[in-house]
Amino acid sequence: MEFKDYYQTLGVAPDAEVKDIKIAYRKLARKYHPDLNPDAGAEDKFKEVAEAWEVLKDPGRRAEYDELRRYGGRPDQQFEPPPGWESSAGAGFQQFEGDFSDFFNSIFGGGFHHREQAAGRGRPGQDIEIELPLFLEETLEAVSKPIEYRIPVVVDGQLQELKKSLKVTIPAGISDGERIRVRGQGAPGRGEGSAGDLYLHVRLVPHPLFDVEGHNLLVTVPIAPWEAALGAKITVPTLSGKISLTVAPNSQSGQKLRVTGKGLASRAGRGDLFAVLKVVMPKDSPASVRALWQQLAEQAAFDPRAEWGKSA
Amino acid sequence: MNDIALRISLGEVCECEQVSRQWLVTMVEHDIVIPVSVAGEVEDWMFDTRSVPWMKRAIRLHRDLELDWVAIAMILELQQQREELLVENRCLQQRLQRFLVEG
Repeated sequence: MEFKDYYQTLGVAPDAEVKDIKIAYRKLARKYHPDLNPDAGAEDKFKEVAEAWEVLKDPGRRAEYDELRRYGGRPDQQFEPPPGWESSAGAGFQQFEGDFSDFFNSIFGGGFHHREQAAGRGRPGQDIEIELPLFLEETLEAVSKPIEYRIPVVVDGQLQELKKSLKVTIPAGISDGERIRVRGQGAPGRGEGSAGDLYLHVRLVPHPLFDVEGHNLLVTVPIAPWEAALGAKITVPTLSGKISLTVAPNSQSGQKLRVTGKGLASRAGRGDLFAVLKVVMPKDSPASVRALWQQLAEQAAFDPRAEWGKSA
Repeated sequence: MNDIALRISLGEVCECEQVSRQWLVTMVEHDIVIPVSVAGEVEDWMFDTRSVPWMKRAIRLHRDLELDWVAIAMILELQQQREELLVENRCLQQRLQRFLVEG
């Protein structure tokens, strides 16, 4: 494994005081913390910085590290701890979210092992979160979904991934962004620790016809100009079949017609469906139809841009 | 049948995240998370599972960066606003596309 120069990682001199090392750590930690920096690679960089700080903030661990560094550790060289090396400063460090590097574990003996010993009990398993895409139609009633995911497990001291399969009943009325907690289906705990949970992050799949607004649905309904002018009875799709809708005379593009109780299911009841009218023109018109349009233009005294004239 | 839930108690969050009850109470005091039910003991306060990622994020920021809770509340509020605006923008773009016609 490669030797890690923690001083170089934090950009400080080997004889820097702890307060200066802390300042350097804080700057880099803020810069690379994965909750503040979404860039790829930021999390790995943060782990390197946190590991360096974990060693250099503690006088005992720093002294041991310095000794190894003097022993001949160089960042671009292979490193093995001296024969018979045993850390006396490894135990009792604070809990840290990420795994430490092999280099760290080879010197200080493996983080989890010491933490468990220090705490005198196990550690809960990691929660796992996966996305669960759902079609809008699947949210109307409870639905059983097969779920496949992977959990990290330690086998013979090696971190491996284990494939898991479950069937989960998704309750009716679930909405986009909700997180369904499946108790005890995350990673197994360590020692006596309980297993973590599985979280299913619900993502509603975009629908070719319907848009979602809270628990309401919107469907854009194309209508002919004469349907808008004269009114019409039209057939409109819903999530659970077709319905008939009356378009009033003189309807406008963008006008919404409300259909109560045909939206998405929710714990407070069913939302509504809004049919949004969109007046569309035929692509091509034969001469006879054009003549009728011409006649209409001459007889209908209508200026759709009359408002512009007032403000100009 | 698997045991599913859309809520989690304060006690369960403390156990899963290995944090003190006081941390969670402080988060509630700073409106970082808002319980959906505060009946019974503090351990029994219930949260919507939507708020779990935000609780975890707040815990990490406090633990890793030693940020105070006021700063964390501000950061998370801005991040939540940003997420909501991105979702709203995506929805409006999708609705707009249904009205636009290729020239």
